[in-house]
Amino acid sequence: MQSFKYARPESLPELLELLEKFRDRARLISGGTDLLVKLQHGNLAVEVVIDIKRVAELSDRVVTTNGWVSIGPRAVIGRVVRHPGIESAYPALVEAGRIVGSVQIRNRATVAGNICTASPAADTVPPLCAYDARIRLVSTEGSREVPLRSFFVGPGKTVIAPNEVLAEIRVPAPHGAMGSSFDRITRRRGVDLATINIAGVLHDNGTAVFAFGAVAPTVVVAEETSGDLCDPTVSADRVDEVLKTLLATARPISDVRSSKEYREAMLLVAARRVQRTALERLTQARGGRE
Amino acid sequence: MSYSVIGSSVNRVGGRDRVTGRQVYSADVSVAGTLHAKLVRVPCARARIVSIDKTGALGVPGVRMVFSGEDLEPPYFRYGPVFADKPIIAIGETKYDGDPVAVVVAETVDAAEAGARAVEVQYEELPAVVTIDQALDPGMPLVQDPDTRGDSPFRDTNTLKEWRFGWGDVETASADLVIENEYSFPMISQFAMEPFAFTAAPDHDVMTIYTSIQIPTKMQKTIADLLGKPLSKVRVVAPDPGGAFGGKQHPKFEPVLAYIAEKLQRPVRLELTLAESFYAVRRTSARVRVRSGFTRDGKVAFHDVNADWLIGAYADITPRIVEKGSYAGGGPYVIPAVRILSRALLSHTTPPSAFRGFGVPQMNLAIESQLDIAAKKLNIDPMEMRLRNIPRKGQNFLPDDPACDGHWDQVIARAAENIGWNTPKESNRGRGMALGIKMSATTAASYSVVRLHADGSATLLCGTSDMGQGARTVYAQIVSEELGVPIERIHVVMGDTSTVPFDLQTTASRSTVYMGRAVYAASQDVKRQLQEASSQGSDSNEEILKSLFGKVSGEIIGVGTARAEKRDGHPLGGHTAFYELVCTAVEIEVDRETGGVTIHKLVTAGDVGKALNPQHVHMQDDGAAVMGIGHALMEHLIYDERGRLRNAGALDYRIPTTKDTPGKMVSVFVENEDGPGPYGAKGCAESGLLAIGTAIANAVADATGVRIRELPLTPETIWSALQEAGDRS
Amino acid sequence: MNEMTTVPIAVTINQTRYDVEVKAHHTLLEVLREQLHLTGTKRSCGEGECGACTVLVNGEAVNSCLVLAAEMDGAEILTIEGLERNGELSPLQQAFLDRGAVQCGFCTPGMVMAAEYLLRTTPHPTEAEIREGLSGNLCRCTGYEGIVEAVKHAGRETDS
Ligand code: FES
Ligand code: FES
Repeated sequence: MQSFKYARPESLPELLELLEKFRDRARLISGGTDLLVKLQHGNLAVEVVIDIKRVAELSDRVVTTNGWVSIGPRAVIGRVVRHPGIESAYPALVEAGRIVGSVQIRNRATVAGNICTASPAADTVPPLCAYDARIRLVSTEGSREVPLRSFFVGPGKTVIAPNEVLAEIRVPAPHGAMGSSFDRITRRRGVDLATINIAGVLHDNGTAVFAFGAVAPTVVVAEETSGDLCDPTVSADRVDEVLKTLLATARPISDVRSSKEYREAMLLVAARRVQRTALERLTQARGGRE
Repeated sequence: MSYSVIGSSVNRVGGRDRVTGRQVYSADVSVAGTLHAKLVRVPCARARIVSIDKTGALGVPGVRMVFSGEDLEPPYFRYGPVFADKPIIAIGETKYDGDPVAVVVAETVDAAEAGARAVEVQYEELPAVVTIDQALDPGMPLVQDPDTRGDSPFRDTNTLKEWRFGWGDVETASADLVIENEYSFPMISQFAMEPFAFTAAPDHDVMTIYTSIQIPTKMQKTIADLLGKPLSKVRVVAPDPGGAFGGKQHPKFEPVLAYIAEKLQRPVRLELTLAESFYAVRRTSARVRVRSGFTRDGKVAFHDVNADWLIGAYADITPRIVEKGSYAGGGPYVIPAVRILSRALLSHTTPPSAFRGFGVPQMNLAIESQLDIAAKKLNIDPMEMRLRNIPRKGQNFLPDDPACDGHWDQVIARAAENIGWNTPKESNRGRGMALGIKMSATTAASYSVVRLHADGSATLLCGTSDMGQGARTVYAQIVSEELGVPIERIHVVMGDTSTVPFDLQTTASRSTVYMGRAVYAASQDVKRQLQEASSQGSDSNEEILKSLFGKVSGEIIGVGTARAEKRDGHPLGGHTAFYELVCTAVEIEVDRETGGVTIHKLVTAGDVGKALNPQHVHMQDDGAAVMGIGHALMEHLIYDERGRLRNAGALDYRIPTTKDTPGKMVSVFVENEDGPGPYGAKGCAESGLLAIGTAIANAVADATGVRIRELPLTPETIWSALQEAGDRS
Repeated sequence: MNEMTTVPIAVTINQTRYDVEVKAHHTLLEVLREQLHLTGTKRSCGEGECGACTVLVNGEAVNSCLVLAAEMDGAEILTIEGLERNGELSPLQQAFLDRGAVQCGFCTPGMVMAAEYLLRTTPHPTEAEIREGLSGNLCRCTGYEGIVEAVKHAGRETDS
C-alpha cells in the first residue's frame, strides 16, 4: 500500500480541525473495509487517514428516540441489524445489512461507511432511502441535515464537503402500519456484490416507496401513491404495471457482473418479490393494529 | 486382502501443522538479507515498449535495481516445458495483459512498490488477439515471431500446432441419427488459495529457489540452464503448496528472480497477490464442434470433432493438454469411427497451463452433451445409453492403448443408485449424468528412499509435492503397512531437490501409483535387508535392529524405483498407467425467473482400484465436485475487446462458498483392487472434475427443456437461453 | 495526537503484550506476518474476500488485511498461534484434523478462526448457521464438507 499518515483525534473539534487542515487529502476510517480495499488497489491516494474510533461525540450505537431511530456513525452493520429497535421496525434494513459482505466485514464495517463510500451497489442504501433516512453532517461551520435520497452525486461522490463529517443517520419511525422488504440478485449465494438490489416500503396510506441499487450512477428512488401496491386484492397484472412505472427511472448498464438486459429483467423479478413480502408484512401490521 | 493401515482413514500427515498455523508455505520462508521485488506492468493486452525511464525508481531510497528487457543481450534465454519460447521478461513487446515489463528490486516491500510506481514506461498499444476467431483470422497480427518458430509448418499463423487422432471412417460410418453442435468452454482460474511467492537465494556457487511448485526437478533444470550451472548447484526447495491444481507445475517468475539474484548476489523475493496470480496462469479455453452419429438402438456410430483451443502467447504445457484431452476425446466408449482435429491457437491472454483434468472437461462438455441429446431424440434413458456404449473390463476401446481396466458398469450403477436415477422426481427438477475419462501418466520416473533408523522409526524421502492431495499420508501408510512402523514414528521428507531423490513430476493423479510403487519398493528393500539379518536368529524389527546396531549405530537404507519408459511411435509417447473414470450425477432445480440453479444432490462415483485412505478419496471427490460447480455455474475470466482482464482477483471472479454447495453431496467408489498402484490402487485426484459441468448442463436441459452449450451456466446465461426458447415457441 | 507516519502501539497478541512501532499504512496482517513473524495468519486475496487472514480482535472476527495495525493500539488479538493450550490442540483444531477439514491447509488458519468466532457467539450452530458463519472464508480444496462437519462436531463437543 502507498504510504500515508495516520491520525487519531480524541474529540470532534480535534477531528474537524484535522479535516480543515487536510481537506480532500484526508480520508476518515472507522471500519475501513472499503477504504483499505481502495488504498490497496492504489486507486486512491491520500495524505492522511483519520481514525474516528476514539471520537466520543461520534456514537457507535443505535438509539431510539421520539419519532426517530438514530444510527451512530461508528455503529457496525453486524450490531445494527441485531438491534431490537431496528429488527422490529425496519426489516428491509435488516435483510440488507445481513448480506453486506461476510461476518468478518459486518463486524467491522459501519452503516455510515456503507453510505459514504457511495458505491451504486451498496446494500444498506436502498432500504435507508426507502425509509427516508436523513444524514446529519457537521463541520466547523455548524451542522446540516440532508435527506439520504439527495446525498449522492455519483459513484463514489456525495454532498459531504471536505471539511464535513457524518455525525448521525436518522431514520423516521413509521407513522402508521408499514411493510417493507429487501431483495437482491447476485452471481452466487455466498458473499457477493449485488447485480441489482431493491428495497420497498409500503405505507398504510397507500404510498409505496421503492429504491433500486446498481442500476444507475446513484441509488434511484421512486414513489407511487395509487395505493395498488399496498392492496392485497389487486391483480398481479396491475401490480406489474405499477412496478414497471416505478422502474422506468432505472438506467442499468452492462459491466462484468451483468448485462443491461439481465439487470432490467431482474429489477422486475426482484421488485415483485419485494412487493409481495412487503405487502404480507403490511397486512400483518394492519392486522396487529386492529 | 486385509491390511493394518492401508484402507483406513488415518489423519492427514502434516495436518497438525496446518491447524496450528505452523505449516511453512513459500510466502512464509524468510531468508536473511532478502531484497523484495515488484513487477511493473502496462494496462493493455499487447504493447510495443517504447522506452522505460528508470531514473525516478532508482531515486527511491532503498531501490537497488530496475531490471527490464533492455538489460538482456541476444540470444535470449527462453524456457518452457514443451517449447523454449518464453523470455524471462518481456523483450520489446508485451504479449498479454499483465506481462511484466520491468522488475523493481528494493530493500523493503514498500520501497519496491514505490519504485514500481515511479518507473515510467512509454508504450504503444498494439492490436491484440483475444478470441478464437481473432486467432484464426489471417488479418490479425502474429502472436509469436515466425523466426522463433523454427521449421513449424504453422509458423506464419497463430496456430501453434495441430493434432489428428482417430480410427475407422467417419465419412462412411452409417448412422440413424446425426447431430452437430458447437460447445464452448471458458477460461478458468486455478485460484489456489495460496498466491505465488518465490525467493531466489544465491549462496556461494549454489542457487536456491524457494517456490511452491509441483515439479521441483523441472524447475531445477530450467534454472540450471539459465545460469549455466550443473544440476547439483541448483537447489529447489518446494514447501508444500497451498493448493496447486496443475497451475503450479511450471516456472513462472522464478527464472527472472534467479537471474537478478545471481547478478546482485543477494536473495530476492517476490510475492504476488491473488489478483496477480490471475495474470500468471489459467485454464485453456476451447470451442468444440462435433458431428455425431448414432444408431437407432443408441450406439454411438461416430464422432467427428473439430476443437480449437485458445492458449496464450507462450505454449507452456498446453500442447500436451490439447494432445491428451483430444486423444481420448470420444470418451469411455466403444465407437467404430472417430476423427478428431485439434488446434492450439496462440493469443494475447494469460498463459494457460495445466488444471485438474487437463484437457478433458473441455472435450467432455461436447461429447457427453451429444450423448444426452441423442438419448432424448432416440427416446432412450441417458444412463442406459451410456451402459450400451461403455466397454466391459478387458475390452479394447482405444486401438493403440490398454483395454478397459475396470468395471465401469459398476461405477454407473453406484452413481445411479445414489442419485436415485430410477426413482420419480419432483416436476420442477432435472437430473443429469455424465461420464468422464482421463488418460493418466504415460511415462514415469519416481525414486524413493526409506531409512529405517536404529530405534525402529523411519524417514521416507521422496520428491512428490503434497499440495493437499495427501501424498505424505498415503506414503506413510505404505511404509507403516510394510514395515510395521507406527505412522507417528514416520517422517516424510519432500520438496527439496538437494535432499530427496528424483521424481519426474506431481501431475496426472500419478503419485499414489508411481511414487507409491517406489515407496512400496523401498519398503520392500528394507524388509529384505531385515529378513537377511534376521536369518541370524532374531525376528522382531527391534531385535534385528538391536543385533545390527547395538554396538555401532547405523540404519537400514531401502531404495525403490518406479519407471515407465517412453514408447516410440505411440501418439502420447506411452501407454496410460490406468484410466481415471468417473460418473457424476446431479439433481437440480432452475429458478425460471432468475436463471439461478439449485443443486439438490450431487454424486461422484469413481473407479479407484483401492482406496488407500478412504477419507482422503472422499476429500478429493468433494473438493473436485465443488470446484466443478464453480466451473459449471460461475467461473470465467472476462476480457474486454482490447484484451484487458476485467475480473482478476476474488472480488469479481467468483468461486463457490460454503453456501454454494449442493444440498447433499455424496462420493462413492468402486474398489476391485485392479489398479497398477500399490495394493491395486488407481489415481483419483482429477476424476471428480471431469464431467461435472456436463452433468449439470444435462440436468438443466432435463429440467427446462433448454440445452445450453456453453459454460458457465450463470443465472444470466440460463435466463437468456430460457428467454430465447420462450421467444421461439 | 498528531498525524504520524510511524505509530507506536501496544497490543496483546495471544496473551503476550507487544509494544511496537508500526508504519501508518501497514495492515495488521502485514505487521503480524512480517514484523512479528506470526506467519500462521495467511494472506490470499488481500482485499477482504477470502477470510484467509481472519483473526479475532477484541473477540470479533475480522479480516486482518482490512485493518490498519495503527488502529490496533490497546487491542486484544487472537491468532491461530494462540489456540493451542500447553501443546494440546483446541477441540476445534482437533475436529478439523479428525473430520477431514484440511487439505492443503492454506485456508485453514482463517477458517479455524472464523469457526472459533462462530462457536463463541453461537455455541451450537445449525448447519445453516455454520455455512453462513464461514461464507466469508474461501477454500479451494475441500468442497467445505469436512469443514462444516468439523464445526458441527466441535459445536457438539462443547456440550459435554
Ligand atoms: S487476505 Fe484478508 S480476506 Fe483475503
Ligand atoms: S484446504 Fe486448501 S484452500 Fe482450504
